[in-house]
Amino acid sequence: MKTVFSYVKPYKWPIAIALFLMLIELSVELIQPLIIAKIIDDGIMKGDVSVIWTWGGVMMLMAIIAFLSGATNSFFASHASQSFGFDVRTALFKQVQQFTVATFTKFPTAGLITRLTSDVTMVQNVLFMSLRIMLRAPLLVIGSVIMAFIVNAYLAIFLVIGAPFLIFFLYFMVKKGVSYFALVQVRLDRVNRVLQENLQAVRLVKAYLRGQFESSRFEKVSNLLKMDTVKALRVMEIILPLLLLVMNISLLAVLWFGASEIKTNNAQIGELVAIVNYALRMTGAFSMFSFIIMAIARAKASAERMEEVLLVNKGLERDEETGKMLGAAEGEISFHNVTFSYPNSPEPVLKNISFDVKSGEKLAIMGATGTGKSTLLQLIPRFFEASAGSVKVDGKDVRKWSLDQLRQAIGLVPQQSLLFTGSIYQNLAWGKIEASTEELQHAAKQAQIHTSIEQFAKGYDTRVGQKGVNLSGGQKQRLSIARALVRKPEILLLDDSTSALDVKTEAALWEALDKEEATMLVVTQKIRTAKGADRVLLLDNGEIAAYGSHEELLQTSDLYRQIAESQQEQEVSAHETDSI
Amino acid sequence: MRQIPFKPFGYEPVLTKEDIIPVKKKKGERAGDWQGVLKRIWHLVDEQRALLVTVLLLVFVSSALALIGPFLLGKIIDEYIVPGKFVGLQTMIYWLIGIYFFLSLTMFLQNYWMIGIAQQTIYRMRTNLFSHFQKLSVSFFDKRQHGELMSRVTNDIENVSATLNSSFIQVFSSILTLTGTVIVMLMLSPLLTLLTMTIIPIMFYSMRWITRRTGKLFKEQQQAVGDLNGMIEETISGQRIVKAFSQEDRVTDEFIVKSERLRRTGFWALTYSGFIPKVMNMLNNASFAIVAGVGGLLALYGHVTIGTIVIFSEYARQFTRPLNDLANQFNTVLSAIAGAERVFSIMDEEIEKDEATSEQNTVLKGKVEFDKVSFKYEQSDDDHTIRNVSFTLKPGETAALVGATGAGKTTIMQLLARFYETNEGQIRIDDIPIHELPRQTLRSQIAFVLQDPFLFEATVKDNIRYGRLNATDEEIMDAAKQANAHDFIEKLPEGYDTVLTADGGEISQGQKQLLSIARALVADPVILLLDEATSSIDTVTEMKIQEALERLMEGRTSFVIAHRLNTVRQADVVYVMDQGQLMESGSQQELITQKGLYYQMLNEAKV
Repeated sequence: MKTVFSYVKPYKWPIAIALFLMLIELSVELIQPLIIAKIIDDGIMKGDVSVIWTWGGVMMLMAIIAFLSGATNSFFASHASQSFGFDVRTALFKQVQQFTVATFTKFPTAGLITRLTSDVTMVQNVLFMSLRIMLRAPLLVIGSVIMAFIVNAYLAIFLVIGAPFLIFFLYFMVKKGVSYFALVQVRLDRVNRVLQENLQAVRLVKAYLRGQFESSRFEKVSNLLKMDTVKALRVMEIILPLLLLVMNISLLAVLWFGASEIKTNNAQIGELVAIVNYALRMTGAFSMFSFIIMAIARAKASAERMEEVLLVNKGLERDEETGKMLGAAEGEISFHNVTFSYPNSPEPVLKNISFDVKSGEKLAIMGATGTGKSTLLQLIPRFFEASAGSVKVDGKDVRKWSLDQLRQAIGLVPQQSLLFTGSIYQNLAWGKIEASTEELQHAAKQAQIHTSIEQFAKGYDTRVGQKGVNLSGGQKQRLSIARALVRKPEILLLDDSTSALDVKTEAALWEALDKEEATMLVVTQKIRTAKGADRVLLLDNGEIAAYGSHEELLQTSDLYRQIAESQQEQEVSAHETDSI
Repeated sequence: MRQIPFKPFGYEPVLTKEDIIPVKKKKGERAGDWQGVLKRIWHLVDEQRALLVTVLLLVFVSSALALIGPFLLGKIIDEYIVPGKFVGLQTMIYWLIGIYFFLSLTMFLQNYWMIGIAQQTIYRMRTNLFSHFQKLSVSFFDKRQHGELMSRVTNDIENVSATLNSSFIQVFSSILTLTGTVIVMLMLSPLLTLLTMTIIPIMFYSMRWITRRTGKLFKEQQQAVGDLNGMIEETISGQRIVKAFSQEDRVTDEFIVKSERLRRTGFWALTYSGFIPKVMNMLNNASFAIVAGVGGLLALYGHVTIGTIVIFSEYARQFTRPLNDLANQFNTVLSAIAGAERVFSIMDEEIEKDEATSEQNTVLKGKVEFDKVSFKYEQSDDDHTIRNVSFTLKPGETAALVGATGAGKTTIMQLLARFYETNEGQIRIDDIPIHELPRQTLRSQIAFVLQDPFLFEATVKDNIRYGRLNATDEEIMDAAKQANAHDFIEKLPEGYDTVLTADGGEISQGQKQLLSIARALVADPVILLLDEATSSIDTVTEMKIQEALERLMEGRTSFVIAHRLNTVRQADVVYVMDQGQLMESGSQQELITQKGLYYQMLNEAKV
């Protein structure tokens, strides 16, 4: 894996050109005083008007050259920094796309967002700055020191006597700055997190009147952000005054020792004046230094945060074997002694689960809340990997499948129907972008949502808000089912995805789904749905409590009977009332 | 030239011809955007203005000290070192040490305080924006992507922050130095000064040429950032869908398109704003040339002395530096203004209106009346979601809302909680129209268990306590027990103190619903709204909590949406909805004997 700064490499030419142009600009600035001297000495002193005109003209020309190179530099520097930022952003995003579901729990969404935006911007800006102005200050300082040494080495020593101390100090400040600014970015993550929660839970916050409460929670995290930003920036502000003080004192030392040198005739007054002049120039450049140090520290802190993501190696989704399967999957699923526990908890959620589902069969999964039904489904598309035992599709361990092919064969309808901003059309075609209108409408019809969509004024072009806010619960569920059907999956995983449907719609839906040839694993609460399945898997506390057909389980399992009775009652009651 | 668009490195131009044409301001129109923005930021500085004045004074002092230093230095050279007079040199150096020390001190202090002021202002901006979010209506949020709004609170405000930290002092001290230099120049030679000043109109026009472009570009850039942020937030939040459908590549392509737009606008914004210091530089160099050339000619005819030219050119250089500093600050200031504008545009969004006339402390009994209510979602072009619905529910009664999906059941509840305003008709509670009730009063007496349970990244305890902030630990545990959540909570690594993570696998959807019910149990409301509160809970568990729910509904006016007829059977009244209309109402018995829509639904249910 590459580090952040290696992404600069492709732009070495624009960068080199930008730096070269900057040097042209800088040299114009340095040459100008010499030309003035020429005008004074050769022009005014000698009364030669033509010299004044010529050199005056040359100066104008140089001003234009400097401007042109400066303006061109602008293009190259912008190009290099923006493209660098773009590349890093893309690399980060691609990397995040490869994260396993478990890795996502380590990097909260808010933190990833900050890394992809704020952190990238930070580094990008520093690159731009360094191509424009940053090098100027160091060059000016180095140039001045060299000139001073040429003029009078003994006096120049006093100028740089503080340098080792300053270099050490600056190094120390960068290190300190990195840790401070890293903390600032972490605080920004928190701010982002609270914000995101509030945006997701607008209705909850309003319903419980927690506006004030949330505001104070937000104030707390913003206050932390403020405090740490202040701390970081203030530490950085020590740099400039201290640099100036050291520099000015060295200047006075030069004066003091210069005076005695002159007394002993070891130095000329002119030399002293020149060195003082160079020293003054250096001080001028120093104001840039605190800025540069801060920029470096900030960029480094941000770069490290990005590298945390870029260097993730273990938590990535990888294909163990790239051996492609021939033909489409059959849709056979088997679990063999599967035990699973989530990364951060020792307690296994699933214990020793074994079962087989043949191609085209329908298995209903039932059980109390929190007993591991959804978890079981998530093992099939390999969102998580079994801690022990194996999950097989078509007799091949899911770990041996290429992820693409495996997931291509699966249509997952999650419990919470997650829709995306965009039109209904786009949402349906989400899983199969090339699907034709007929395919989409067919899937929508199967999912019993076609007529509802047709009734919207804009039909399939109706806009869906983030997470489908403007749709009813049942509409969202049906869209989510249609989205999975568009792909014509060999395996259909339905995670309690009909809970918000009314009985009539649901019945029609099952009728349509049963015509599909897909293998179906259906998590459900409803005995009625279980009755329609080939077999029922009843989970209790992560273990298989019963496994068999509806009729078998009614005979053999107390728990299943209990569930059946809890629902029987209502049907009976409906009957009773009916007969009145 | 117009025909061939200029595309350096393949960057398509962002600005169109129309963008660049200055907009003629009409009379009475608001002052230029940036002026308004600055005014509002100034307002946020608030009680720190005194400190800010102190900072400005310090800038003044340090600028003066920075001028005195070289002056004394010159004096030392002229009066002590050149004549070889060393008596008193030591004293002078002591003086200088003192001055330099104070220079560093004042510089440190001004920055130290300025950072405090800037960050406090930023803090205020951020929290104000957040509080404003809290006052905005639900429909405002329906229309926007979360990530886009988040970008305003972070990325846009960060831009302002960067500017306030450094630019303020920079700008002020540059102006000071500039003024000082101009005065000295005038004293030396008014004629040369005037000549130097000829660059000012050119400067003005070129700056206008640039800012007319950059203003738009920075706004575009911040929009692109927001757009990208929105996309990132949505895809990462919905990552499991991306994975399940193996759409990583497509999502990445989409990301690249948005990211590319940011690169393009960023490129142009940076390039154009990068011209500013260069233009300044050129004009300074030009003025340098003017001084040298024209000054030289003047000197030839004896109008000025050579000494004046030398000193003057030195000052002209001095004139350059603050101008350059100012110009370099311009970039950050411009993007800060673009950022601030986006922040303030949200703050200008209209908040939920509260024209309550009744008292704050009205205690409601819970009689709910819908009177010919019609409602249509703002962003939809469809027919009304709710059409002419009227009913009255007595205090303490339970109503079940039934009907096909999309019939408007949830909307009825959302209208009652006043998340949205009715278009026609009136909703009354205890005969008071709800728009006359303060929102505070209304919502404090409603508990809403929403369709999609949401848990905060906080402890289990705090998540339940959300229903009533002063609930004791016992009350929380009690509620959890009633909601049948106690057992699984106990099994979590740290029980009630387990911190729930956003997307952690530790809690199932059904368990989330149990916690939401516990939250409502703690709230102790007058009106209870249960929207599919038990949809993901298995029927056995549901039976267990049914009793708790019944107890919860006792004595409270309750609305229940459920597909399980069991729940419906408990209700005093059943409202049957179809396509936004209230078709039937009455007790279950009555509806069955009517043999209407409800009867039909029941029959279908048996199939």
